[in-house]
Amino acid sequence: MKFKIPIFDVKNLSFGVRGQKILSHISLEIFNGEYIAIIGPNGGGKTTLIRMLLGLESPSEGTIKLFGKKLSNFKAWHKVGYVPQRASLVDANFPATVLDIVNMGRTAQRTLFSFLNKEDKAAVYDAMVKMDILDLKDKMVGTLSGGQRQRVMIARALASKPEILILDEPNTGVDIVSQRNFYALLSKLNKEEKITIVFITHDIGVIADDIGRLFTINQKAIVCNNPKEALSCEEMSALYGIEAHLIHNHKHEH
Amino acid sequence: MLEMLEYEFMQRALLAGMLIALLASISGTFVVLKRYSMISETLAHSALVGVAVGLVAGFNPLWIAVLVAILSAWLIEYLRSSFALYSDAILAILLSGSLAIAVIIVSLGGAFNNSLFSYLFGSILAVSSDDVITILFVGTLALALLLAFAKELYFIAYDEEVAKTSGIKVKLLNFLLVTVVAVIIALSIRIVGSLLIGALMVIPTVAALQYRVGFLNTMFLSVIFALLSVISGMTLSFYFSLPSGATIVLCVLLIFIISLIGNKK
Repeated sequence: MKFKIPIFDVKNLSFGVRGQKILSHISLEIFNGEYIAIIGPNGGGKTTLIRMLLGLESPSEGTIKLFGKKLSNFKAWHKVGYVPQRASLVDANFPATVLDIVNMGRTAQRTLFSFLNKEDKAAVYDAMVKMDILDLKDKMVGTLSGGQRQRVMIARALASKPEILILDEPNTGVDIVSQRNFYALLSKLNKEEKITIVFITHDIGVIADDIGRLFTINQKAIVCNNPKEALSCEEMSALYGIEAHLIHNHKHEH
Repeated sequence: MLEMLEYEFMQRALLAGMLIALLASISGTFVVLKRYSMISETLAHSALVGVAVGLVAGFNPLWIAVLVAILSAWLIEYLRSSFALYSDAILAILLSGSLAIAVIIVSLGGAFNNSLFSYLFGSILAVSSDDVITILFVGTLALALLLAFAKELYFIAYDEEVAKTSGIKVKLLNFLLVTVVAVIIALSIRIVGSLLIGALMVIPTVAALQYRVGFLNTMFLSVIFALLSVISGMTLSFYFSLPSGATIVLCVLLIFIISLIGNKK
């Protein structure tokens, strides 16, 4: 097997608040080009895990390496796109057009006083085309539907030309039709643009053929390399409790 | 030409007032979007501590006010990021704490007189040419800093965490913003008064937000509203012998009410 440096290399990661363990001894790797879904019950630590991956929370134990560098020394944040859980629930009164938001994707790369240059504008345009929101460019974000806002937030993340896209429950506040289109889009970004994708979901129905690997997080992590097998594996049942039962039903329906 | 412009003190006051309107409204845009409006009230009261020290010790109150306001802004940011305290509670504590300290200093020093009163409510008569030069010089620097980091500050106001994960130095820029706001407020209390400066910082932006336009247009409207309020407030204050700060605030309130009703959904 060819040796590869993983994008994320997580070793023995633990996190707790006030003596309560939220995650314990998690080790996992995420490689270039992967398409990974993270599932698990509420309060199981999914969001905490990705917040640690992004440097928003500090682990109580363990190490995270990003593109081979310790997280605290990592500087090339434009390689990482993040779409938080509340992305589609933006404050309706915030004074921002779609273009204002997507431009933010280039903000960190520009220094003092410098305005967005040709390259930035091209990247922003490109991201809007990919997310099919070019016609919404001058609309206020507050007036858009949940599905449209979600695409705007992803366009913002794409504008920095990331190598990995991390999405936390991207479907909060989005209707079913938009959800389907959305997963098709994610899959396309993964296959055609070669962007590594990691997303948290509640929506077990979407763990479809395209997903490469599945991480089940409930304090501990179980990494399933074959998602279809994972859905029936006993370990998952033990971890996931009652929801594992739902998964089985779901499978029978098909 | 208008009669009021024949007076040198009015020329000075108008010039200083317009500079302050520009500074307060631009910095206010970021402050309001960060849901941090109350910081302007708190820093204005902290600046009063500086004024009190200046009056009692015989230093230039403006410079000490700038210094104390900056220290207070840093303390707020430090408390906010290092302790599990609600930020609005921190602001309330420092606001009343500062006012209490200012009043004690002034009464111990026997300076509880008209000079303090003029810093509470603002006075256009009190603006010296030194004040105008200070405001012009320091204000330009503050404005340059705000504009240099406008894109970043806007991103942080929109979503602090996403800004952080994009590689923006959020903590540093938050300190920068509160520092600049502290300086602007301390410079402004001479004209608008420490009890009223918050209004000039916050209300123009809130009024501009009613028009539901993009970021740059919101900031632009906010500047226009602040300038309009200062010019009309000072004019009314001159012709009807009204207190300048309060008149300016009533003008900006009127603009806010018109904007609110005119843009009702």
